[in-house]
Amino acid sequence: MKSRSIAALCLVAVLAAVVAASTPGATKKATANSITVWLQVDAQSGWPDVVAAATKQFQSDHPGTSVNVQYQNWGDHLQKFDATLAGGSGPDVIEMGNTEMTKYMAAGAFADISSARASFDNSANWLKGLAASARYGGKTYGVPYYAGSRVVTYRSDLYKKAGISKLPATTAQYVADAKKLAAKNGKKGFSPVYIAGTDWYVAMGFVFDYGGGIATQISGKWKGLLSSPQSIAGLTAYKNFFNSTSRASKTTDETHPNPYDVYAQGQAASIVGPSWFSCCVGAKFKGSTAQFVMPGRLKGKAMPGFLGGSDLAVPANSSNKALATDWMKDFTSTASEKALQAKGNIPNATNLLGSSVNERAASRSWFVPTAKHWVDVENGNVLRNMLAQILSGKLTVKQAAASASDNIASVLNQS
Amino acid sequence: MQETPSTAIAAGTQASRRRRRSRGRFLQAATPYLLIAPVVIVIAVILGYPLYWLGKLSTERYGLFELIQHAGTSIGLDNYRSVLHDEIFWRTLLRTVIFTAVIVGLTMTIGMALALLLVRVSRPVRLLLSSGLILVWSMPVVVAVQVWYWMTNFQNGVVNHVLTQLHVGDYFQHDWYATTFSQLGMVSLLIIWGALPFVAITLYAGLAQVPADLVEAAEVDGARPWRVFVDITLPIIKPILLILTSLSIIWDFGVFTQPYLLIQQSKIHAGNYLMSIYLFEEGYFKSDFGRGAAISVLMLAIVAILSIVYVRRMVRIGNEA
Repeated sequence: MKSRSIAALCLVAVLAAVVAASTPGATKKATANSITVWLQVDAQSGWPDVVAAATKQFQSDHPGTSVNVQYQNWGDHLQKFDATLAGGSGPDVIEMGNTEMTKYMAAGAFADISSARASFDNSANWLKGLAASARYGGKTYGVPYYAGSRVVTYRSDLYKKAGISKLPATTAQYVADAKKLAAKNGKKGFSPVYIAGTDWYVAMGFVFDYGGGIATQISGKWKGLLSSPQSIAGLTAYKNFFNSTSRASKTTDETHPNPYDVYAQGQAASIVGPSWFSCCVGAKFKGSTAQFVMPGRLKGKAMPGFLGGSDLAVPANSSNKALATDWMKDFTSTASEKALQAKGNIPNATNLLGSSVNERAASRSWFVPTAKHWVDVENGNVLRNMLAQILSGKLTVKQAAASASDNIASVLNQS
Repeated sequence: MQETPSTAIAAGTQASRRRRRSRGRFLQAATPYLLIAPVVIVIAVILGYPLYWLGKLSTERYGLFELIQHAGTSIGLDNYRSVLHDEIFWRTLLRTVIFTAVIVGLTMTIGMALALLLVRVSRPVRLLLSSGLILVWSMPVVVAVQVWYWMTNFQNGVVNHVLTQLHVGDYFQHDWYATTFSQLGMVSLLIIWGALPFVAITLYAGLAQVPADLVEAAEVDGARPWRVFVDITLPIIKPILLILTSLSIIWDFGVFTQPYLLIQQSKIHAGNYLMSIYLFEEGYFKSDFGRGAAISVLMLAIVAILSIVYVRRMVRIGNEA
């Protein structure tokens, strides 16, 4: 009987192990004459020509070297990268979100490129926020690639039809305009301003506009700020704004569906997001689409926008560091950055800045806490969950903010 | 195994014969072991080796830094201690056990009903029904998740549209993924839908073993259909039911693809974790691979405990037969 039990246990263990076992795939090892580049899908959908031009330039300097560009998703590119760190066969250049850099620099995942820094175009004038996100312990581990602010993309034809002659200068005015737009468009599910419920980039803008914040470091220890009266006022303002303007799901994020798809289907008069959203508004509305800076609480002050951005880095285990660095130089050259600017991005250096709506929106901006564990807060969906709780009415603003604030502090204060 | 009594034979005189005979006996005794050796070796390599590393990893501090250095620091049972002291672990475990029980229960019940239906219907209908089941089965999981997601889409899901048109209620812009209960409900439906073909077709094959004359005799004696089912059909197909149930428990307890893709990463938080997602978030998202390994070892143990009863009974039935 006993041996049978053991046999049974073994059988179960074997079956369970078969189910449990799974190994992430590794990418092919680069040969001496090729480099692998991981860029995010934004480049694939927004500016594949800029990528191709940089590669062409690179190949004319390094004949016979092939460049294998692989596009990744924001959702899982770090897990894939982790797998290649373990397997030792990863990319030679990787694009990292500026909020993702710290954790990896702290762990020694990237090659130190401090000595090559001066040879990058405009490196003396790199955008402060981006350059800071690529520095750790006084060394440079990354190159600013581009930044992006958030603007309102809207349909001028609908605004005209609703009798809106002047673009809103305050949030309150924007809500009033939204009511006019809704009155003129009786279609069920139509959003005067489409914002996904858990789009924390928009929501935190309100928090910062009311003088609140996410977290701050006091003598080496992180303290959550979302439960402060200012933050609660901001979150309440977001809730009210959402309820009176957006018919989006209260629990969904800003990629399911993409706001520009909703817009292209004629279901929204305006959307809030990166300025490159104008790329994908659909042929039907292309001509009537324009952009403006999201207005803030007070007249003359823009809504603080999240200054997102990307850096490029060379993983420490790359076997082609010199080639990889050269490719990054070509991809962040003045010509390349100007091409990115033309697509609606903010270039990586102050001397290249223009006066586009995107660049004007960056005049008031906010950034996430620069903590090693911030990425765990993002991946743990702490802010999104808080917003879903607030909008669905499951918790009051105060309750949801207090719980999220404590949660954030405990994650950031991990060793 | 009996020892060859080679020492009992007098030495010297028949040395060569004895050697030959003992070699023959040795070969005879070793044959079964030699025959299963390839299987044992293959299992040891493809399962034993990773399991060994999983166990080792679970006793190490192994984060991003250690990953890059390719070397962990041994910390004994600290990972297990930290998981077992994590409130989220226990809540997730309870949620997953209930989730598994509901899914396995419904899968087996509906699967049985479908199998019985397959026996009763006419040939063309049976053909139609079983082709439908096979089609469901042949659909890749990721594709199925995407189709389900589209059908239940907030913005323009066909399910919302149809329910509204049928005047079941106003399901325009109904958010099927708004609450944990609703999220897990949608995931359960998807999993049960995907698991039914295997269960129904296997049980249908099992029902073919039930002798028709036995059923007929019982019916002549006045037994009602329910009694026939409980007293004749069920005992005969019990071994199959047990195998299917234990397999379903193992699959459903560790299910990852359907919940992770259908609920979507941006909606996953500690309040709606299932065990496999908890493991993934702790191990991969937080780059704490040692802790992740400890969670998988614990999951392995839990699944073993959950299904030991079934497997024991299965083995007993096998021995009786």
